[in-house]
Amino acid sequence: MNDFFQTDIISIRDFNKEKLETVFSATDKIIQMNPNERRELARGKTLGYLFFEPSTRTRLSFQAAMASLGGTSLGIADASSSSTKKGESLADTVHIMSLYSDVLVLRHPLDGSSRFAAEISSKPLINGGSGTEEHPTQAIQDLFTIIREKKKIDGLKIGVAGDLKYGRTVYSLLYALSNYNVDVHLISPESLKIRSDSTYDIKKRLKYKESSSLEEHIDEFDVLYVTRIQKERFPDEEEYLKVKGSYTIGLDLVKKMKDDAIILHPLPRVDEISTDVDETKQAKYFKQAQYGKDTRAALLALILNENSF
Amino acid sequence: MIYSTVIQIIPMSEHDLIVRRIRDGTVIDHLKAGKGIQVLNALGINGSDGNVITLALNVPSAKISKKDIIKVENKYLKDDDTNKLALISPKATVNIIKDFKLVEKRLVSLPNKVERIFRCSNPDCISNSNEDIESIMDVVDKTGLVLRCKYCTRILNVSELKYY
Repeated sequence: MNDFFQTDIISIRDFNKEKLETVFSATDKIIQMNPNERRELARGKTLGYLFFEPSTRTRLSFQAAMASLGGTSLGIADASSSSTKKGESLADTVHIMSLYSDVLVLRHPLDGSSRFAAEISSKPLINGGSGTEEHPTQAIQDLFTIIREKKKIDGLKIGVAGDLKYGRTVYSLLYALSNYNVDVHLISPESLKIRSDSTYDIKKRLKYKESSSLEEHIDEFDVLYVTRIQKERFPDEEEYLKVKGSYTIGLDLVKKMKDDAIILHPLPRVDEISTDVDETKQAKYFKQAQYGKDTRAALLALILNENSF
Repeated sequence: MIYSTVIQIIPMSEHDLIVRRIRDGTVIDHLKAGKGIQVLNALGINGSDGNVITLALNVPSAKISKKDIIKVENKYLKDDDTNKLALISPKATVNIIKDFKLVEKRLVSLPNKVERIFRCSNPDCISNSNEDIESIMDVVDKTGLVLRCKYCTRILNVSELKYY
C-alpha cells in the first residue's frame, strides 16, 4: 500500500524528502503514461472542490488532473453562489461535499481552514491554499519544476523575492526546500519580510539570508522565485501602494543572470515580471504551471489508489 | 445581586503570616510573586459563587524567596485549571483540603497540549471564526512557554495570549 492512500494533504511540513520524491517519481510516471492507462487511475471517482477565494491555476489544474485520470469533478468555484452566502458553516459545507465526492480540495481565506476541514470530512482532503499559511501542492509543483529543469535541488542557490509576509506559497516552498541542502536568499521590502511567527521551525532546518536588494546576488542564483505583492491581503491600500512594484524583473535584469538560471513564479503575476521576459530561456513559470497539473494528478492518483501504479 | 463573598487581600510580612486555615477547598501555593491576580483571572475566580477567597501577595518563602498564595473555599481545582496554572506559574502547587486535612497535593506540570485555555492571537486563524471549533495549542518550548496553534501553526508567546 502506498503511504498516501486515503490520506489528507494539509501541510508541506508532513512531507520529508522521501515522501516528496515519491510524488516526483509518481509525477514522472503520470507524464509518461499512456493516456488510456492513466484514465483508469480515477475512473468512476469524483473530486469535490470548494474554493472560497479566487483561483485560476489551482482549481483548473485540479480539474484537469482529475479529468486526465478518468475522473470527474464538481464543486463551488465562487463562495457567493453557495449556501455559505446564506450563513452555512464551513463545517457543514465540507460535510456535504464529502458525501458527494471521493476526494476534496479546499481553498479558504482563513489560516488553518484545511486542517479544520479535514477533521470534518469523511474523505481525504487536500489543502488548495489556506489564508497566508500554506499552499502545499504549489510547493510540490515548485520543487518538481526545479528538479525537472535543473536536474537536482541540492547545492542550488535560490533567490526568493517579493511579498514574503503574506505569500503563502513562500512558507510552503521554504519548508519543502528545508529537506534539501540549498543556499536561500530572501529578498523583500522591509515591510514584507518573512513573518517570524511562521519561521520558528524553518529556521531550525534551513539556512537563509535576508536582504532588500534583488540585484546584489542576481548573477549567482540558479533559481529566482518571484512572488506577487498581494493587494488583497494588505490591511489598507496605502500600505500596498508603498510597496507595489518594488521588484520588477525585466530583460535588463535577466541578462545579468546565469545562462542556465531559471525564473519561477506561482502566478498570477501583475507587474513583477515584464512580458518580454516570457520569451527568454530562463522563464519557466508557464512550464511550472503545466507541472501543476501533473503533480496534482500524481497526488490524486496516489490518494485514490491503494497500490502503486 | 449581592454576593456574600469576601476576598481578602493581605500584604504579608515575614512575621505576619496569618491566612486562615480552610475546612474544604483548594490552596494554590508557591505561585510566583505577582502572579496571584493573573491566576484568579485565568481561573475565572471572581467570588460570584459566594465562596471565601483569600489572596496573599509577596509572602516570604524559603523555597522561592517571595510567593503568592490563593485559598479558595469549597471549590476543588479541576485538571484543566491545573494546566492553566502551569502556564502562568510552573512551580505552583495545588493542595486539595477536605475537613481541614490535606488529601491531595498536586505538582503543576506543563502539558504537551493546551486545549481551550487561550485564544489564538492570529485574527485570521480558523479557531477565531464562527465555526464550532475550540483552540488547541501544542507546547513547543516548555522553558520559554512557547506554544503553536494546532490550526494556523503560528508560534505564540503565552504572555501575549488572551484567556477564553
